[in-house]
Amino acid sequence: MREVLQFFIRNSKWFVFAIFLVLSCILLFTFNPYQQHVYLTSAGRMQGAVYGVASNVTSYFNLRHNNEDLNRRNVTLQQEVLSLREQLRAMRERYADSATVMPQAHSFDFITGHVINNSVMRPYNYVTVNKGSADGVAPEMGVIDQNGVVGIVNVVSEHYSRIISLLNPHFRLSCKIKGDESFGSLVWDGKDPRYAVLEELPRHTVYHKGDTIVTSGYSAVFPAGLPVGIVAGSNGSGNDNFFSLRVFLLSDFTKLNNVQIVRSNNALELEKLEEENLKTEGQGTAEEVLGN
Amino acid sequence: MSKTTLRYVIMCCLLLLVQVVVLNRLVLFNTAIPLAFIYIITVLPVSFSTNRSVALGFFTGLIVDVFMDTYGLNALCCTVLAFVRKPVLHMYVLRDDAPASQPLDMHSLGTPVFLKYTLTMTLIYCAMMFTVEAFSFFDIRRLLLRTVASTIYTFIVICAVSGLYNPRREKRL
Repeated sequence: MREVLQFFIRNSKWFVFAIFLVLSCILLFTFNPYQQHVYLTSAGRMQGAVYGVASNVTSYFNLRHNNEDLNRRNVTLQQEVLSLREQLRAMRERYADSATVMPQAHSFDFITGHVINNSVMRPYNYVTVNKGSADGVAPEMGVIDQNGVVGIVNVVSEHYSRIISLLNPHFRLSCKIKGDESFGSLVWDGKDPRYAVLEELPRHTVYHKGDTIVTSGYSAVFPAGLPVGIVAGSNGSGNDNFFSLRVFLLSDFTKLNNVQIVRSNNALELEKLEEENLKTEGQGTAEEVLGN
Repeated sequence: MSKTTLRYVIMCCLLLLVQVVVLNRLVLFNTAIPLAFIYIITVLPVSFSTNRSVALGFFTGLIVDVFMDTYGLNALCCTVLAFVRKPVLHMYVLRDDAPASQPLDMHSLGTPVFLKYTLTMTLIYCAMMFTVEAFSFFDIRRLLLRTVASTIYTFIVICAVSGLYNPRREKRL
């Protein structure tokens, strides 16, 4: 017995090493980012506070660049408002009696946040934002900035949240080429933070270099038609029926500053509907089995 | 707590803070990142037992992981680094010649040995980290480029930190 004990003590460094090695491997190979505990991510209270103080200084760095982006966006939005107003007036004149334009309830709200931590060089990148559950942020909400899609909310603490960046292969975004209805899924290939790949596009899709890629709106996370990127060229074909495109991302991830978190008012309803759908389907098969 | 220990603890806190707030953002050409916080592990004296340095390495790595959202990556690499610390040192210094209780810095080791020791440790760390990280998309050229670039970058920053940490003793040399 004593010899066994002595053996353990003599070789204790190997055992301690093994214990810590196994512990860190367990952490490392928990692949699913949704299972990670909030205190072990950058959305934790202390981490958020440290980054918050640091970003008080660094947030001034790209102001000129951000301002230009915002101005550009403002101009396009203004043009859109004017043209829509014009269309509305024309419609009203033409169908004055038969149709009244009803004001519709907003299906999306926006929560503005400030980026306090961000990375672009790792294979799995995350962004930390200074808005949390206290501000109405919840996991699985979409995040955009003035130029395009940024990512999806992943872990939320009271005042901070961590976002899975578009530059993270855990995140796939359903997109389509503007003006064409066929859709594919956008994913980052881990190489250049300026480019991503739009995969699984049907063979017959027509595209041109410079076409805009927008969100498809097939989930309640992002509204349809949000700009994501620009077609930069073909990325070779995956197989006979599908091909992929190289996409230049509109959001500059190296200079993220202010973002908007998209809160969908219909998400709950949609989810409930889908759940009910599943339930009835389940019942249907159960009945079929009983019937047989 | 002795004065040396206190100095060490303060240096650890400062270095971790600088790593998280400043150095993590100083990425060069999307390839090289300075990981100067490993100086916390490399500077530990020889008399500091392997058990304790492995534990210290794990928690240091975990703190950096928490801030960088790498979840276990730095913890794993720091654990291994703390374990191979003494064998690496004894590649360059004979067992009897190594300073026993002094921190392993430029003053106690002498500049050539310190540089060799630090460069080896940095290379081990960077190679290990980028290899583990690149499991999902393996691209050997990119991996090598990242490792070499980050090793050089980290090495330079650690030398600077080491110089800052002991400016007075350096003059006496």
